[in-house]
Amino acid sequence: MAGIASRRLQKELKEIHTQGCPVGIQLLNADNFEEWHLSLEVMGESQYQGEVFALKFRFEPQYPISAPAVQFIINEKYKAPVHPHVYSNGHICASILGNEWSPVLSVIGVCVTLQSMLASCKKKERPPDNDRYVMHAPDNPKKTRFHYHDDTV
Amino acid sequence: MASPGVQALVEAKWQSAFKTLNREEPGISGLLKTSQARQLASDFLRPRALSEPRRKYRADVMANAFRLLYQTKQLHGVLENFLEEMRQQRHLITEDVEAYMHEYEVRPYAFVLVTEVHETADSQIIAQLVHRLVEWFNAWRPTTETDGHPGPLESLGHVAIDSYTDAFQTHIYSVLPPSFSSGFKDLIASTLPVSDPAPPPDRALWDAFHALGLIERYESLISSVCYELVEKHVVETCAGQWSERMLQDLRDWMQNKVLPWMCLPYAPGARTMEEAGASLHGVGPRFDFHVCKTLCDLRTSEIFDIIVDYPDSIDALYDLKECLYRVDQRSNLVQSLRKANKKRLLHPGADTKDILAQYVSTIRSLRIVDPPGVLLYKVADPIRRYLRDRADTIRCIVSSLVGDNENGESLIDDEPPLPYLTKDAEDYSDPHWEPEPIDAGPDFRANKPGDVISTLVSIYDTKDVFVKELQVLLAQRLLAVTDGNYEKERRNIEILKVRFGEQALQVCEVMLRDMTDSRRIDQHVQSQKPSILHPVIISRHFWPSLQSGSFVMPQKLRSIQEEYAREFTAFKPDKRLVWLSHMGSVKLELELQDRTIEAEVTPVAAAIIELFSEKDVWTAGELMAQMQRLDKEHLRKGLNVWVDLGVLKEEGADKYRLLEVAEESSKKEGTVSAPKPKELPAVQTTQQQQAEQMRVFWNYIEGMLTNLGSLPLDRIQNMLKFARGYDRSIEQLGMFMEAARREGLVVVRDGMWRLNK
Amino acid sequence: MKVTIKNWNAIAQWRWDIGKEFDETDDEDLCGICRVAYEGCCPRCKMPGDDCPVLWGECGHVYHMHCIMQWIEQQPPNKQNCPMDRKPWITAERKTANTATQQTQAVQS
Repeated sequence: MAGIASRRLQKELKEIHTQGCPVGIQLLNADNFEEWHLSLEVMGESQYQGEVFALKFRFEPQYPISAPAVQFIINEKYKAPVHPHVYSNGHICASILGNEWSPVLSVIGVCVTLQSMLASCKKKERPPDNDRYVMHAPDNPKKTRFHYHDDTV
Repeated sequence: MASPGVQALVEAKWQSAFKTLNREEPGISGLLKTSQARQLASDFLRPRALSEPRRKYRADVMANAFRLLYQTKQLHGVLENFLEEMRQQRHLITEDVEAYMHEYEVRPYAFVLVTEVHETADSQIIAQLVHRLVEWFNAWRPTTETDGHPGPLESLGHVAIDSYTDAFQTHIYSVLPPSFSSGFKDLIASTLPVSDPAPPPDRALWDAFHALGLIERYESLISSVCYELVEKHVVETCAGQWSERMLQDLRDWMQNKVLPWMCLPYAPGARTMEEAGASLHGVGPRFDFHVCKTLCDLRTSEIFDIIVDYPDSIDALYDLKECLYRVDQRSNLVQSLRKANKKRLLHPGADTKDILAQYVSTIRSLRIVDPPGVLLYKVADPIRRYLRDRADTIRCIVSSLVGDNENGESLIDDEPPLPYLTKDAEDYSDPHWEPEPIDAGPDFRANKPGDVISTLVSIYDTKDVFVKELQVLLAQRLLAVTDGNYEKERRNIEILKVRFGEQALQVCEVMLRDMTDSRRIDQHVQSQKPSILHPVIISRHFWPSLQSGSFVMPQKLRSIQEEYAREFTAFKPDKRLVWLSHMGSVKLELELQDRTIEAEVTPVAAAIIELFSEKDVWTAGELMAQMQRLDKEHLRKGLNVWVDLGVLKEEGADKYRLLEVAEESSKKEGTVSAPKPKELPAVQTTQQQQAEQMRVFWNYIEGMLTNLGSLPLDRIQNMLKFARGYDRSIEQLGMFMEAARREGLVVVRDGMWRLNK
Repeated sequence: MKVTIKNWNAIAQWRWDIGKEFDETDDEDLCGICRVAYEGCCPRCKMPGDDCPVLWGECGHVYHMHCIMQWIEQQPPNKQNCPMDRKPWITAERKTANTATQQTQAVQS
């Protein structure tokens, strides 16, 4: 059933093209309705001043009923931010990507939420269970059952 | 002094020679006989004037004489002597030739307009000359046929005759002036079998040609006569004749008329066609090729009109196809057609629907001529590019898709619609697979057309534009339907689904369903509470942008709407109605003091007249204030409806009065019925919007032409580019100017436009 | 003058009565889940209107019925919330002006 996800994403894409992205967020690549890449930058004063990150969204055919799989991209150009909710493999522990997902959220909505998550960070550090998690983590962060560190994000 | 030995040698030689000459006869009697024979032979052979009477020679005497000369080895000398004498006498022939040629050349009508008659007269002189030359040739010919029997001249040997013939021909060729060849050509032409039935050939003349070696010498000239005959015949019989196959007729004509004639030069002496066949072996195909080439050239020059005439011209196209197999002139055809299209079709004066029709005919025509479609691809490209730039192309295609052409012709006719897909890969297992023609371009296969409609649709990169236009058109048509019969539209949608896919036509499905639902709802509402109002209730987002903007209806009309809406909501509790008050039509009756008027008008006009029932005089401003959100244009149109019907009268500045009693001039008997508004529902087309915008630029153009007199199109275009917001192509400008010309605003001459004063 | 209307062919659009006044210039209201207008149809449907109706929540949020049902159905029973406000979803019985205070019921299947 290609319909739901692609039609919804088509609309989101059109909106991005006509209205543009919020400040600090840029569409890098949205060639298909399976995987999109966006860049993310925290504007103003923050722990991440001058750093640019990239997010990878993977969509299932049931999106937006099912949440997208979202993670930070790690390659020659991009690193995952050092943050208590971000594992060094790019996986993000955020409830809105898991059991708090809502179908009224959108790609840009998720980006904005993550942007503010980074902006509100007081101390740059990895999650306490980082090493253990990364060693056993599945490729797709959606396969993980996170224990959410706190519910404020 | 010679030595005795030498003397003896000379003596012996003399004796031997003498013996030969004297033929071993006693004394010198043999020698005398030889001398007589020689005398006789010289006299027999001597070239003389034709007027000089010729002695009769007895064949046996001559034979003896020649034999004697042969035996005494003097024959060679006799012949040498003969040829020498010929050289001395040939001035006789020269004088004759000059006399005839003089007569030929000075004939005054030779320089006047050449007509059949004159040609014949002229060439007859040449014929006389030829016969005369044959007389000379025969007169001097070293034969003994003078008494009517072939003599034993063979003793002279072929060598003798050949050298005579050579010498004779060399001479006449050297004295025949250049004008002879044109005369000769005319003469040959006069023998052609042009009349029906052809007169029997003048064999004597042809024998004369052969005798004099004229056939070999003027071979190319004879060919060209024949080529010209073919060309003339092809043009005369085939030009403009496209409704039947001509090639076979031409070949029959060649076989039955021309070939027998061709036997005269090319197969002399052949008594039957079989005999001639061998001689004509090389010539026949050459002329058949020329027939094909000529027909091909003719059809190539006519191709544009042949296509215009399609399908009546199918036979001409089949001929052309056959010719092209024989003669490779495909690129000529492409060039000719492209040129004609550019000149006659792809210009601002041509209607888009005509261009489309010609394009469709071109597709169908060239598929006959060249099934693989290479020619079409090359010809179609400029047409497609041109059409793409025309604003109303999509609309025209869509109208024809749904059979909306004015003349009722649809582009979809005999062809079954093919599914909207193209095969990319070549299917070699297809038994009909053929390699690409060698003149195919690299991108040829990719553009191989399916059916005509997909070819038209593929002018554009996306089919979305068609679906949009289709939606507009369908909306107009559905809203114009009053009898509730949407079957035709439904059928069209079904056809188009096959072409564009179900998905693309989903909106049209919704529109159709809205129509049937509206009818069902109306039946229900009417059953609950009868109303004179019968709305079409449409699903927004699925209809093209309709004219919205709601003005305030007068109370009486508004309450009709509200009442209906209430019943609707009672029936469909989740839904409400939003009225598009501009749209639709109202049938009403006006009872005035002296007359009753029935009219079907726009809702705006109905609203206006309703207001006049409250008060007789209104200004435009008052009406605007009353109806709110109504633009001036619509108000004016609405008022004009009633002014035209003699119900309202404009009094001074924007003031209107109701005429309770009709004025003299507009007074009519009894009931007046106004014609139903003819306008299609106000669905805005992209084209209308563009035309509207273009009018703005008219002011600029008018100013330009007022100041500068006349201007070519490209100058106007360049100057308009300075105008703000001008983004039209020169083609669009051309179309606009053409429209302005039709309206009598401008005139054009030699590409220069100026105002029409 | 007396004007008598005999017959009137009109054109109207239908709208879902989502409890707010119709405004000529309003932006289209979209279903938050599929982002298609209410008067359009959800991605699974082809025909708008009665075939693809909308549902009102007690909370006042409106979705295409098929969209909200699909969301609710795949949520665990304790998390069947309105996607907008994350309050438990309770389908309102036709939140129209005249029938607004009817009994409500939760949609469970």
